[in-house]
Amino acid sequence: MYMPGFVRFLFCLIMLSLAAEPLFHIGSFTVTNTLTNTLLVDGLLVALAWKISKSASLIPSKFQGAIEIIMEGFYNLTESVAGERTLKIFPYVMTFFLFILLANWTGLIPVITSLEFFNGHEHVHLFRSASTDLNTTLALAIVSIVATHTMSIRTIGLKHYLGKFFSLKPLDLYAGLLELVSELTKFISFSFRLFGNIFVGELILGILFSAFAFFVPIPVIMYELFVGAIQATIFALLTMAFMALFTTKHGEY
Amino acid sequence: MEIFKTFGLDITLTIAQIVNFLVILFILKKFLYKPLFKILKKREDLVKESVEKAEQSKKALAKAETQEKEIIKKAQTNATEIVKDAKEQGAEIIKKAQEEAKKQAATILKAAESQIEQEKTRAERELNKHVAQLAIELLKKSVGQIFTGKEQDEVVSRAVKELGKKPN
Repeated sequence: MYMPGFVRFLFCLIMLSLAAEPLFHIGSFTVTNTLTNTLLVDGLLVALAWKISKSASLIPSKFQGAIEIIMEGFYNLTESVAGERTLKIFPYVMTFFLFILLANWTGLIPVITSLEFFNGHEHVHLFRSASTDLNTTLALAIVSIVATHTMSIRTIGLKHYLGKFFSLKPLDLYAGLLELVSELTKFISFSFRLFGNIFVGELILGILFSAFAFFVPIPVIMYELFVGAIQATIFALLTMAFMALFTTKHGEY
Repeated sequence: MEIFKTFGLDITLTIAQIVNFLVILFILKKFLYKPLFKILKKREDLVKESVEKAEQSKKALAKAETQEKEIIKKAQTNATEIVKDAKEQGAEIIKKAQEEAKKQAATILKAAESQIEQEKTRAERELNKHVAQLAIELLKKSVGQIFTGKEQDEVVSRAVKELGKKPN
């Protein structure tokens, strides 16, 4: 793919390519540094679940209280949109939020990002935010959209589900077909929005870190933490909105 | 496709990420959301319950207070009644006792009087006997010197007869 010389120069300078760098191979399976980051996020989430399920009590600790506030916030938001289907939708929303948030933030914390690994050819980062790999964001988009559509068929039935896209009335058919196209573009919008935002953030940080060692990148890190939280929220809320929309019969909303 | 390669798109990696996410979703569902929502539900129930309990105990307290007042009032009226009754009964008992005492005194007096009367009659009778004997003795002594034995006996028996005729 063609890249302007300046951009290519910058990429070389900060060792960040659009594709995740491979660390090692297990058979034909390539372990990339975004995959290690995914595993790190998994570990954090499992640790969180373990801690909560082990020590959750009626009188919450500060930590438990914070987690409860986040979860209750998302739960109430989901409930206000989805009503009695909240219990089905909420786990997806919450998990998307937590997973993406941690994936975004683990790519920003200096100690984690400074770890390096020699893969036989060059030194690469051991961890690179999972959201800066299109494989991850596409996977999340696929899960979100497929789950939305299966949930739709399960709740309102195949007839009403197909009725959303196909109709005998010409105007409805036209609108339905447009909907169908928009469903396909969702794969792209979901995956590239997240990928683009986080990747660019890390790119900017990389450039800043290569020019200034201290101080200047700090406000940018703060900003990127904010962007990471926003992107995680956007992904979760969009999933929630689509799931609520698709589990409602046509004409009911 | 060149663009896929640039973005590092790899079907196995994408599938790996999908599987990874589904696993994490399952784990969090089972071990994070469920226990946490259980606790939230429990807490909500507890709060509801304690608020209800507090209200109930408030009501119970108010009820107990009114009951207490009622009981005290009742006890007071009861007490005054009992005291009144006791006074009345006491007065009655005293009256009865006095009457009884009067009666008894009267009977005792009567008995004493009759006894005195009896004593008196007995004493009189005794005295009479005594006096008669004394008289006979005196008669025998004084007559003995004048009359003989036969006449003597006759005089005495006649005297005895006369004495016997006379009532006390």
